[in-house]
Amino acid sequence: MIDFARVQKELQECSRDMESSGIKVAPKSDNLARLTGTIPGPISSPYEGGTFQIDITLPDGYPFEPPKMQFATKVWHPNISSQSGAICLDILKDQWSPALTLKTALLSVQALLSAPEPDDPQDAVVAQQYLRDHQTFVGTARYWTETFAKTSSLGVEEKVQKLVEMGFPEALARSALESVGGDENSALEKLCSG
Amino acid sequence: MEGEEDYGFSEEEEYYYTDDGDSHDGLADNDDSALQWAPPKGSTTKVITKESLLAAQREDLRRVMELLSLKEHHARTLLIHYRWDVEKLLAVLVEKGKSCLFTEAGVTVVENVDDDVPLSSSSTITCDICIEDASSDNATRMECGHCFCNNCWTEHFIIKINEGQSRRIQCMAHRCSAICDEAIVRNLVSRRHPNLAEKFDRFLLESYIEDNKMVKWCPSIPHCGKAIRVEEDEFCEVECSCGLQFCFSCLSEAHSPCSCLMWERWSKKCLDESETVNWITVHTKPCPKCYKPVEKNGGCNLVSCICGQSFCWVCGGATGRDHTWSRIAGHSCGRYKEDREKQTERAKRDLYRYMHYHNRFKAHTDSFKLESKLKESILDKVSVAEERELRLKDFSWVTNGLNRLFRSRRVLSYSYPFAFYMFGEEFFKDEMTDEEREIKKNLFEDQQQQLESNVEKLSMFLEEPFQQFSQDKVMDIRMRVINLSVTIDTLCQKMYECIESDLLGSLHLGTHHIAPYKSKGIERASELSSCWNTKLGSTDEYLPSGGTSEHDRPSGSGSSDDSGCSYRKRAKKEGGGFFDLNLPAEIVDRN
Repeated sequence: MIDFARVQKELQECSRDMESSGIKVAPKSDNLARLTGTIPGPISSPYEGGTFQIDITLPDGYPFEPPKMQFATKVWHPNISSQSGAICLDILKDQWSPALTLKTALLSVQALLSAPEPDDPQDAVVAQQYLRDHQTFVGTARYWTETFAKTSSLGVEEKVQKLVEMGFPEALARSALESVGGDENSALEKLCSG
Repeated sequence: MEGEEDYGFSEEEEYYYTDDGDSHDGLADNDDSALQWAPPKGSTTKVITKESLLAAQREDLRRVMELLSLKEHHARTLLIHYRWDVEKLLAVLVEKGKSCLFTEAGVTVVENVDDDVPLSSSSTITCDICIEDASSDNATRMECGHCFCNNCWTEHFIIKINEGQSRRIQCMAHRCSAICDEAIVRNLVSRRHPNLAEKFDRFLLESYIEDNKMVKWCPSIPHCGKAIRVEEDEFCEVECSCGLQFCFSCLSEAHSPCSCLMWERWSKKCLDESETVNWITVHTKPCPKCYKPVEKNGGCNLVSCICGQSFCWVCGGATGRDHTWSRIAGHSCGRYKEDREKQTERAKRDLYRYMHYHNRFKAHTDSFKLESKLKESILDKVSVAEERELRLKDFSWVTNGLNRLFRSRRVLSYSYPFAFYMFGEEFFKDEMTDEEREIKKNLFEDQQQQLESNVEKLSMFLEEPFQQFSQDKVMDIRMRVINLSVTIDTLCQKMYECIESDLLGSLHLGTHHIAPYKSKGIERASELSSCWNTKLGSTDEYLPSGGTSEHDRPSGSGSSDDSGCSYRKRAKKEGGGFFDLNLPAEIVDRN
């Protein structure tokens, strides 16, 4: 059984110092087992300026079992799958400790963004590029950040409008946008995947 | 077949295994005993049962505890980390020092017990896991210094045990690799899930089998519940006390002088070959005259069809009736002759080659099975003979001869798959020239043939109805059986020597491990004494309240009163809780 009392406390704690850490955790719905984490791209990395959303699912054994985390925002990084957003990070697996929290885990993910470990890759293609052609890697990572992780300057209404123009019903487009936290690309992906 | 000779006498005067049914064939006064049997030596291979599992690890635990002055649970943590390899553990100690040894294994030894003081009964702590306050009664500080509430600890332990990680449950603090004190785990978990605590104990105890390359579960199906421990050489063949003989290295049936690698390929090949081929080549031989399929129902290789035609079971060729047991007049078929006309048809040639070896392999395994049935009838003959008023009273030569027959039959049958691979192209294609191969093949086949003919002779003499014979004739057969036994033993030894020095050579023995030949047959693992003289005081600080109350075990410093022991063990088992991890070795050894 998930220790919801602790999750509640974690959320309070997190919102208290959101200003300083920039890390945000919010439940997706009433169910505290599914949350969305948001981390800013670390400064002086190709991810700088981006805002990355992470899907969090808490297993029954939380906090004694690690939370499941996956990037919802597309990201170009050796330890993160460019396809699925799966994260390769030891503390999310065997090195998890119940003393860690969602916030500390997200901080570790943020640290991973600035310090990739290409020797233990999740995405072999990215890792190879990172090792062999660093210049191109930085370029691609920056481009992906630009394309997928920057909150577009468009307002919500404009985004809905854009999706409607693509041929999606307005109500559906609106709810899709809401469910992914306003990210246009994720919403499009969601709509396309049905 | 049972390996029932006079081994099993332990030098430590420990409990040893003797089967009542076999006790009459003691060999001390036998003619060939001096020639054939090495002086009785303790079986170093041990059977470990549920009951003796703790005793089995006791020695290793005690060594580590004494050497490093540790408590038992620390010693266990160390040994689990170093996979019960005490030598390795000591090497790390010498090389890297004590603190490194401990850190790597997650052992925290608290020198100063005063650390416990902050947890006075009135204080409360905030548990970092559930972020709730807990009174110190409901919190536990682990040896590494980290303190959390009991609920969280319990939750953590339960999840780890269910994940199958009982052997290495780490502290909950981030980046703390200390292994939790097993007594605390047991104590907390048993409060909520007594069954799970039992499971934890079992996992911990069975680490000695699971994580230890010198101990393996007996592969019997259905499982007999026992494990076997070997000393020094892990490439050997053993017999469990359940009667199963197996190769300790690969856990399949005993297959020496075939190497594990060869045996794996061979058994797969035998499975893969089509059923038709198998059925034709394995079960029957067509009579060369009437072509009816003939099934062999006795030990001898000269088979007679109901039409009256005699033929050789091994090659299927027609022969005359004139034969001795070892030879059929004017007939020889032990060698594989390459059929030059069909050399182009490679696949066919390979099949013939396989069939050649398979037929011989199968013929001897079948003989072996038939002869095993024969054992009882021969023992009947012995008892009849013993009733008679003969000068010769001792019939142990019969059972000895029978055992020699079983052993050599085994060697003989597995020598065929060995030859199949040794002189085939699968493993050693580029290792020797064709000429060398031919020479080596001849050398080996000579030995094989010699062994074969002697084995058949022995089989013949043992099948004689000697109980009806006159005294002189019995004496004659006895001499022959004894002489043949010695010859066969020597031939087997020579064959192994040939394999080791002439065929495989030191280079290939690395990949092709072959269990050594043992005159006395496959070593039967002796029961490990589990009669530890234990008397538990109430000093055990870790003893959980639900611990077993039966602590008085038979005393008598490991004397071989096995019946008493097993009786008590059984009684204990019925009372539940057969493991007694709660007995620290210090206490056991103090007595």
